[in-house]
Amino acid sequence: MTQPLVEVSDLTVTFQGTPPVHAVNGVSFTLAQGEVLGILGESGSGKSVTLKTLLRLLPERRTRIGGKVAVEGRDVLALEGRALADHRGGVVSMIFQDPGLALDPVYTIGRQIAETVIRHEGVSRSTAMARALEMLELVRIPSAKRRLSNYPHEMSGGMRQRAMIALALACKPKLLLADEPTTALDATVQIQILLLLRELQREMGMGVIFVTHDIGVAVEVSDKLAVMYAGSFVETGSVAEIIRDARHPYSQGLLAANLVGAEPGALLKAIPGAPPALHAPPVGCAFAPRCELAGPRCGADPLPLWQARGDRWARCVAAAEAAVPSHAEP
Amino acid sequence: MSDAILSAHNLVKHFNAGGWGAARKVVRAVDDVSFDVAPGETLGVVGESGCGKSTTARLLTHLLPSDRGEVRFRGRVAGTEVPLKEFRRHVQMVFQDSYASLNPRMTMLDAVAFGPTVHGVDQPEARRRAGALLERVGLDPARFGPRYPHEISGGQRQRVNIARALAFDPDVIVLDEAVSALDKSVEAQVLNLLTELRRERGLTYIFISHDLNVVRHISDRVMVMYLGEVVEIGPTADLYTAPRHPYTEALLAAMPSLDPDRRTMEAPLQGDPPNPIDPPPGCRFHTRCARAFGPCPGTAPVPALVGRRHLASCHLNTVKEAAE
Repeated sequence: MTQPLVEVSDLTVTFQGTPPVHAVNGVSFTLAQGEVLGILGESGSGKSVTLKTLLRLLPERRTRIGGKVAVEGRDVLALEGRALADHRGGVVSMIFQDPGLALDPVYTIGRQIAETVIRHEGVSRSTAMARALEMLELVRIPSAKRRLSNYPHEMSGGMRQRAMIALALACKPKLLLADEPTTALDATVQIQILLLLRELQREMGMGVIFVTHDIGVAVEVSDKLAVMYAGSFVETGSVAEIIRDARHPYSQGLLAANLVGAEPGALLKAIPGAPPALHAPPVGCAFAPRCELAGPRCGADPLPLWQARGDRWARCVAAAEAAVPSHAEP
Repeated sequence: MSDAILSAHNLVKHFNAGGWGAARKVVRAVDDVSFDVAPGETLGVVGESGCGKSTTARLLTHLLPSDRGEVRFRGRVAGTEVPLKEFRRHVQMVFQDSYASLNPRMTMLDAVAFGPTVHGVDQPEARRRAGALLERVGLDPARFGPRYPHEISGGQRQRVNIARALAFDPDVIVLDEAVSALDKSVEAQVLNLLTELRRERGLTYIFISHDLNVVRHISDRVMVMYLGEVVEIGPTADLYTAPRHPYTEALLAAMPSLDPDRRTMEAPLQGDPPNPIDPPPGCRFHTRCARAFGPCPGTAPVPALVGRRHLASCHLNTVKEAAE
């Protein structure tokens, strides 16, 4: 078997403080080369923290990271100094929700892209600028040559997001991390950016981890989906499996809340309550207090797993029980 | 229509964007917007950022004075024929930012009771009613009444804002992106609450959102805005199944499909919405419209009836040569 691009096993992230926050609690997944994983979850579910761990962007002194994270077989958590700098932007690169904050306001777009290329490939400034132009054309910024000398504030939101994608892809990373890159954009611009990402991903054969709270967006770009709640994956599967046959009550509730197949004007099947504060690591099922199927057996630790294949599973007692054929049936 | 509960007549709002004399720049935030809302109806308002949705909401509730045009409540002009104080008892508003719209130094019970006391209800009665309203929106008054805004979650704060809007027993509530900042699971709870309250109290909603799915779910009629103008308004089902303006079509096509087998293959529009400073002449949409033809760059289209209670401002519906 070929080596997966990303291998995360039993990742835990705790932010120290009073009280501490257990942001990620035992996340494991693998991503093959050229595959797109969508991580779906609400605010505070730990999806962005999981992404940032892959780039080691979390504040070192206040964060305790456990488990294993490997990209191309290299242990990300052990990287130091130059090796870490080579990893960031060279092997793994990230795009953020707000390009206005992620880009440096005092340098032109061209210079920012060129700087990255010079750092990682050691080429001359003119070669790097040529690459920057090439990248802006690749992300289809109109009159790219003129835009090279623009500052971020001179561009519109959609254009800035394209520029950030150009910057992230300038050194042909193997893995692109996307943290809600279209959330701040208007609908007609959002779809342009999603289509662009999908096309570039296919052309360059990158692996992509795409974090979003919007099921519609996740369906447009992903091959596989993982639903995240309270710092853990609660269900994974292909996009079609999750959309048509969600097994975890939380996934089902999210789908209903996204008005999938809802009848106009009727009451929605809403999940009551709110996500838990993660001051202590959850024991058993973290979703149980909001779940209508919950019972005493939901406190089991570890929780039983319903599993159809390697990466098609749901961590839910009820789903696991429902899958066991009943003895009464012939 | 004369039996409309709330109507806008040729509302105009321009903002200065710097410059003097000939160089003066003007943001045409709302430009000649007219519509009406029937009692008990929910009117959805959609459009991209900068299209004038929120300015329209503020003009409707008289939080901003309009440059021209008027708002009528039950046929009477708000601000003159209906004094503002009375008008505000009938028309209330809920904003997107649940935190910014609450006084950080007032408890939730005080926040809900404050409006009625200003309008002459005595203190104990106002507080009793506020407690009942908190209860109605799903917050236990004993637990949540004494709390301050920073002590409760966003979804709970938005429930308080809804309770506060209800404190006057209004007829109309303008909801400006009221559920947009909430997480999906909480958004569904608040949508359910709004649906129930509307049934119970016969409320009329003006529901502003950029989320077409939510608008479709909650609205009877939908109004689409682009760069300060209404481009199409009609019954929800008609507008979603057979839009009559290319911009509405594009908005609908830009919705993620939610079907992995039928992903969106092509972006319906290229580029970003133009700046509302100096909008394009003629039809404001012609610069991005794939079906623009002869009259579009020169003449602004006028709203034309294209179905029952369904208006669209597009030359494709009115000019003959468009058919060729």
